[in-house]
Amino acid sequence: MKTNVILQLILKDWRLQSRMIILLTLAGAAALAFLPIGGKAIVIGTVFFFVAMMFCACLLPMQNIVNERKKQTLPFIMSLPVSSARYGAAKLISTTGMFLTSWLALLGAALFMILVRHTVPNGAIPMGMILMGFPLIGFCLVTGAALIGESEGWATGALAITNSSYWLVWFILVSHVPSLMQNSSSPVAVWSPAVFKILSVEFGIILLTLGLTMFLQSRKRNFI
Amino acid sequence: MNDYAIELSGVCKSYRFFNLQNIALRLQRGTTMGLIGPNGAGKSTTIRILMGLVHQDRGEVNVLGHCMPQEQVDAKWDIGFASDDMRLYETMTLGWHINFMKSMYPSWDDAYAHLLLKRFGLRAEQKIKGISHGQRVKAALLLVFARRPKLLVLDEPTTGLDPVARHEILRELTSVMVDEGRSVLFSSHNTQDVEQISDQITFIDRGRIIDSMDKEIYLDRWRRLRLEVPDGVALPRLPGVIGIQKTGRLAVAIANAFESHLPNAYENTGARVHAVENMTLEEIFVANVEHSREEVNA
Repeated sequence: MKTNVILQLILKDWRLQSRMIILLTLAGAAALAFLPIGGKAIVIGTVFFFVAMMFCACLLPMQNIVNERKKQTLPFIMSLPVSSARYGAAKLISTTGMFLTSWLALLGAALFMILVRHTVPNGAIPMGMILMGFPLIGFCLVTGAALIGESEGWATGALAITNSSYWLVWFILVSHVPSLMQNSSSPVAVWSPAVFKILSVEFGIILLTLGLTMFLQSRKRNFI
Repeated sequence: MNDYAIELSGVCKSYRFFNLQNIALRLQRGTTMGLIGPNGAGKSTTIRILMGLVHQDRGEVNVLGHCMPQEQVDAKWDIGFASDDMRLYETMTLGWHINFMKSMYPSWDDAYAHLLLKRFGLRAEQKIKGISHGQRVKAALLLVFARRPKLLVLDEPTTGLDPVARHEILRELTSVMVDEGRSVLFSSHNTQDVEQISDQITFIDRGRIIDSMDKEIYLDRWRRLRLEVPDGVALPRLPGVIGIQKTGRLAVAIANAFESHLPNAYENTGARVHAVENMTLEEIFVANVEHSREEVNA
């Protein structure tokens, strides 16, 4: 009976990257411990929380995809019964799965701090959700560039663009939707149409990036 | 069932500065072929095409009865591939790699893997980053051999190894080939290694196959004739002779289709035959490449 190679490749990636994922998730969760202190500690905790998440969004595609080519372990993997399309699918599933695990754990921890520990008002939840979409989009773009571009240069370029765009996009959003900031100190979460619209666009970009990555990967003619 | 483990016909692949031209290659099941060529000749490209890693622009590629690259996943279950640019995961141990391969291949031979660990002087608990280049190559080959594949495709596996490590690997490769059903394609620019283990030899240069035949026939057909040519005697290029180098009264004729009457034929022209020598595979390779390049340039 033949083994499910894609599953084995995904498990292999999890074994290789699990330590890094756990450490970064713990770092993000530790940053949330600043929130109950109040005052400036909330800002420091929030910044470190997002830094941990962005670090994970950058590091994971570099370690899991770019390094496989750079350190020449790709010929070893491609000697296994796998095509470039299946390899791409396995990489996309494992990398996205690992990032989402960390992302969801941190989202859960943040919601716990807000809803259960009441460290910040519930009104911060919609804004926090939008902000948490940024590293997720950045991760998808870097992952796509790493997989399709097949070089450190493409991945680093995508990294530079996404990392420098976060604050610009946030500035544009806040300028066009002032209620985002105003409602963040509200005792209840305000899920306005604008919030849903922004979250939908974020979700659309994520799906488009992942879909395009899969499509382009399956059309490759030269893989090594 | 197809008689050939590998069959390439009319295979072309174009890059900006390199073209693989009309490659035709057949490896009979149960035999070993040495693919010899200088650096940049197209050995690795040919191998990548037959592994489905690079798609040919034109031509047919059939490996173990599977059309490549379309059926590469099915074909690769029975192919063991190792190349000199292949690396294992540095931060993990050899034992981790063994377990990974074991989880992948139902045909994995654990007893043989342990035997190879001993023979190659490797330890399963060693991290890959802590071992030498020679040990890394042996580790990679262990992972290939213990799968018991029907076809072994080895792209310059002995490059950069010391003589002892090369000997160990070639000895193991010879024992692996005892299984008559197993076919091997072995690429190298080291003709000694190829000569030691191959049944068939294929020479490739500048993206073209320049010759391909049974090793014994090669060694039998190629000869070097050392001649003395008296003044006034013109030395003709007789049939079967591909080149003559003359230095003063002495000349060396290289024959690629030596016949027993060739020395007499030269004697009849007025030349004296001092010696008829066998050629090593390396000498045949160099003469073949030079002759092929002369023909292309002419």
